[in-house]
Amino acid sequence: MKQLKFAEIFGDYLRDESRQIGTAESILFSKTEEEIVKSIIDNNKKNIHITTQGARTGLAASAVPNGGHIINLSRMNKVLGARYDKENDRFFLRVQPGVLLIEVRKYLANKSFIINDWDEESKRALKYMDPGEWFYSTDPTETSASIGGMVACNASGAKSFKYGSTRDHIESIRIVLSDGDILSLKRGEVYANDGKFELKTEKNNIIKGILPNYTIPNVKKNTAGYYCKPNMDLIDLFIGSDGTLGVISEIEIELNRTQAVNWGLTMFMPDEDKALDLVRALRGEKVIEDFPTINIKPSAIELFNHNALNMLREQQKINPAFALIQEVKESYHTGIYIEIEGDSNEEVWSKVQKIGNVMMEIGGDESSTWVAKTPIYLEKLHAFRHACPECVNMKIDEIKKTDPRITKLGTDMSVPNERLKDVMHMYNDDLKDKGLKSVIFGHIGDNHLHVNIIPRNIEEYNIGKKLYEVWAEKIASMGGAVSAEHGVGKLKIPFLQKMYNEEELNEMRKLKKIFDPKQLLNRGTIFPYIEGEAGIL
Amino acid sequence: MASINIMKDKCVGCKKCVNACPFNAIEIIDKKAEIKPNCTLCGSCVSSCKFNAINFVKDEVEKKDISHYKGIWIFAEQRYGKLKGVALELVGQGKKLGEELNVNVTAIVLGDNITHLGEELIAYGADEVLLMDAPWLKDFNDHIYGEIMIELIEEYKPEIVLIGATSNGRSLAPHISSTLQTGLTADCTILEIDREQRLLLQTRPAFGGNLMATIVCPDNRPQMATVRPKVFKSLKPNYDREGKIIVLPVRSQIKSFVQKIRHIDNEQGANITDADIIVSVGKGIGNANNIKLAQELSSILGGAIGATRAVVDSGWLPYSQQVGQTGKTVAPNLYIAIGISGAIQHVAGLADIETIVAINSDPEAPIFKVAHYGIVGDCKEILPLLIQELKSKM
Amino acid sequence: MKIIVCIKQVPGTNEVKMDPVTNTIIRENIESIINPFDTYAIEEAVRIKENMGAEVIGLSMGIPAAEEILREAISLGIDKGFLLSDRKFAGADTLATSYTLSLGVKKIKDFDLIICGKQASDGDTAQVGPSLAKTLGIAYVTDISKIIEINENNIRCMKITDDGYEEILLTLPALITVVKEINMPRLPSIKRMKIAQDSQVEILTFNDVEADENRLGLKGSPTQVRKTFIPIHNINNEMIEGSEKAEKLASILLGKIRRS
Repeated sequence: MKQLKFAEIFGDYLRDESRQIGTAESILFSKTEEEIVKSIIDNNKKNIHITTQGARTGLAASAVPNGGHIINLSRMNKVLGARYDKENDRFFLRVQPGVLLIEVRKYLANKSFIINDWDEESKRALKYMDPGEWFYSTDPTETSASIGGMVACNASGAKSFKYGSTRDHIESIRIVLSDGDILSLKRGEVYANDGKFELKTEKNNIIKGILPNYTIPNVKKNTAGYYCKPNMDLIDLFIGSDGTLGVISEIEIELNRTQAVNWGLTMFMPDEDKALDLVRALRGEKVIEDFPTINIKPSAIELFNHNALNMLREQQKINPAFALIQEVKESYHTGIYIEIEGDSNEEVWSKVQKIGNVMMEIGGDESSTWVAKTPIYLEKLHAFRHACPECVNMKIDEIKKTDPRITKLGTDMSVPNERLKDVMHMYNDDLKDKGLKSVIFGHIGDNHLHVNIIPRNIEEYNIGKKLYEVWAEKIASMGGAVSAEHGVGKLKIPFLQKMYNEEELNEMRKLKKIFDPKQLLNRGTIFPYIEGEAGIL
Repeated sequence: MASINIMKDKCVGCKKCVNACPFNAIEIIDKKAEIKPNCTLCGSCVSSCKFNAINFVKDEVEKKDISHYKGIWIFAEQRYGKLKGVALELVGQGKKLGEELNVNVTAIVLGDNITHLGEELIAYGADEVLLMDAPWLKDFNDHIYGEIMIELIEEYKPEIVLIGATSNGRSLAPHISSTLQTGLTADCTILEIDREQRLLLQTRPAFGGNLMATIVCPDNRPQMATVRPKVFKSLKPNYDREGKIIVLPVRSQIKSFVQKIRHIDNEQGANITDADIIVSVGKGIGNANNIKLAQELSSILGGAIGATRAVVDSGWLPYSQQVGQTGKTVAPNLYIAIGISGAIQHVAGLADIETIVAINSDPEAPIFKVAHYGIVGDCKEILPLLIQELKSKM
Repeated sequence: MKIIVCIKQVPGTNEVKMDPVTNTIIRENIESIINPFDTYAIEEAVRIKENMGAEVIGLSMGIPAAEEILREAISLGIDKGFLLSDRKFAGADTLATSYTLSLGVKKIKDFDLIICGKQASDGDTAQVGPSLAKTLGIAYVTDISKIIEINENNIRCMKITDDGYEEILLTLPALITVVKEINMPRLPSIKRMKIAQDSQVEILTFNDVEADENRLGLKGSPTQVRKTFIPIHNINNEMIEGSEKAEKLASILLGKIRRS
């Protein structure tokens, strides 16, 4: 029999959704924390570096190995228990890192947990839960993401506009460190003190250090580099650390109560500027003189720019899978999608009527809207929203066939509220200037857009790649973040270098070395691997 | 006017009737049952009450004399001289019912150049075949076929008329029944005889297959039902069987306001109703790209590809491949369900299948309750391995 | 052109839950929706209206609360709704339902085309469309997947059959039933919802139509439900486990194929 190579058997595990392909020599599909510990100790002894993987849905190549060993957590996919804090009416689930978002959603919707191995307290807690009564609010577009992966890159999603990002709903985590020791952190228990920190491991070792003293951007969504504040809760240091400080082995997530009704609303405006005014109005900003501000508080505000709608129109004609999404009329220029939650249909309907009025005031047409007031209708709008990134992926896959060097070029940057129009103009002007094809969509409520360049050849790809670095610099100068929800991974290192100077990046590297002196974990993620002590101040 | 009433003095508020109502039309208010306006007068509650507190008032219907209706008729659908499988299944089932009622089974064939079908129908169980053969009967037409059937039924007066629930049969049957002002039960999966009352018990899935309902048509004749293809097994043909073949005189041509201009037939092999092996996919397969894996498996096995409603609704496969309550009933020897949760609406489309294999990542998926072999796992990982293994050994 | 769309109110889900103790059905309070197949009929009628001008009227039979689904149909683009609602109509099977609907159609008058969904999601009978056409004495074709051309006299369309497709020409007035392939139903707009909110649905009771009482409701229904029961699937199943699941399954499949 022919000897199969690693790549032939485990080829899937050398890539993630970033479409990057790496190499590796071995892989462990761990089922327990003990197996992670053992694997880390073994590899540490042999100085073999380790890449951690969840569901490999990341877009920044964090899970793409560059040689060495892989610890894949996809088989640690159990919900381990539940906890209800009756006094404060808070519900928590304890999960293994490999459990998928879609699974958690299904378990919660049907209250269909597998509870054979649960302790008594967990089983008791379930008595306080009805099917669908609670939900996990973080909603990245890719629902097959793992919870561990979401913690690693501090994922967010459309509803982060109302509910915040992953960070805001993590109550505790367990992390296996590079020497096999374990940190167990619970929110509200251990804080940094004026930039200094001290952590005690399960083996009673003390880890001491100084946090980097750069200022992280003042935006709602940020996952660019280590999260550091002088008096921060130290659990936050590990959330969004891209697996570079340890391997997450257990997570406790906080749930939210499901609102009685949830409507979706897609609105089409005749030009982009009017669409941006509508976004501002929906955020409660004053847009029109003599017209009162509206108080809607949507849970999500999303944008589809003109090119995105054109791309969907084009795909609808040729691809039967897209023929089933709503018809995008020629008169629709730019689309805004929002979701509104409330206690009753009447309450939400009265808000929707107000939105209709403000839309007309800005220059839109109430007829150019899609209202989804039932879950079945809402699913149609979700399918429409999901179709954008799917179309881009298909386009890129097509182009990749002509030149394998071309991969997805998508940005993930956010800016403060007052820079919304500036950042939109920057994207549009630069893309026009370079003559590049692109589509823009994303979480405009948080001024966080995904610009996807569709290169027609390798030259355009390279121009696009350069442009992203230019934007990273401009975004940083606007006080924004160069990665809002995907993590830095391996792909966004050049952008991070625009946001932080060499000294600040070295502070990050120094912090990593406190936890991982041999730089074994997720080597080459967040910053390039530099052998030995180089780079340490 | 018919109504269902609760006798408040007898009702104890035990809720038995609430549970028995399939329409959620009974509520307990102040410890007494109350019938809500959405009651359909189905009468399911009446027998559930242990206290005789439910009074079902029915209007007096003038009873017609129906005693002279005798015999079982099968509308034997054919297309261009070839019988549909369900026609043969029905003559077989008709024969069984006929034995219980002690009557003959008659098959009716309409078409052009179809006289040769008589023998085949007799071999498969018909006692008698009525044929009408004319060039203008070549194409199926609801109106033309319907009018001829009505005339024949009025002349011969059969007590039962069974029609295959094909797309044509489902369209034709209501034309006949509404003209004859008689009952029609759609998509039956069980047919039995109540000998005492000489009634056809017609059982069909309701509420998307979640509930089975047995329907009767006591006062009108004929009792009409459409029957799902593949539900009954046809008998082994016996070409020595004797029977009567009657070629009917051709009546004057019927004009129709419906005109067939052309037909486009599906490619051979695409028809899942006739396939012996079906590889069927549900939303659990992940995305449209993974369908290719299922297609590869199906072509290795020499089977057809099937799908759930969710998959065809997403445009991943055409509607013609949908298996289930609103799709097609299938009866292959081997059915491989990939990423199919096994909602009852889908399972309702699985007739007598020898082997069902299910692959699903959710150990709790209801498909495992109906599968002979099950694998809990990610189909994206299992399918490539399975394909590789089959390729190497075939 | 005047188009009538038949619309049925159905439960939002077909799920039937069993009470494991009493072995009886639990049907929770479920929201009613427009029969999903009817949404395609509504959309097709509205598209004809947009393309060539037409008045689109929704017709339903049901309890007074069914008014809401006609209002929803208005938000989806139909112009007016009629609801046949009377206790005398209750308990109707498909025959009596078709007769009752025909009374509504006669009340609306002068129609050119009736569009129905292929079937209702709660009954799945697909009988009411053809029966209604026959009761009105007009031509019909079921399972239409595409309207190719429509003018004042004719409609040319594609019908899905078990064997493929057929192109059919029908003389108007006529009735068609439509399948999901025909279109992608739109969602309501804020504007249409505001219009629907202000619209009146016309209620037609027994006294508003010229009915033969013997053909209505339970009395006019030849079929009766004798009993209902939950289907049971009894199957011996074997779970394939262990590290070589795919290999084990492959040999089972090979065994099955070679035997047959």
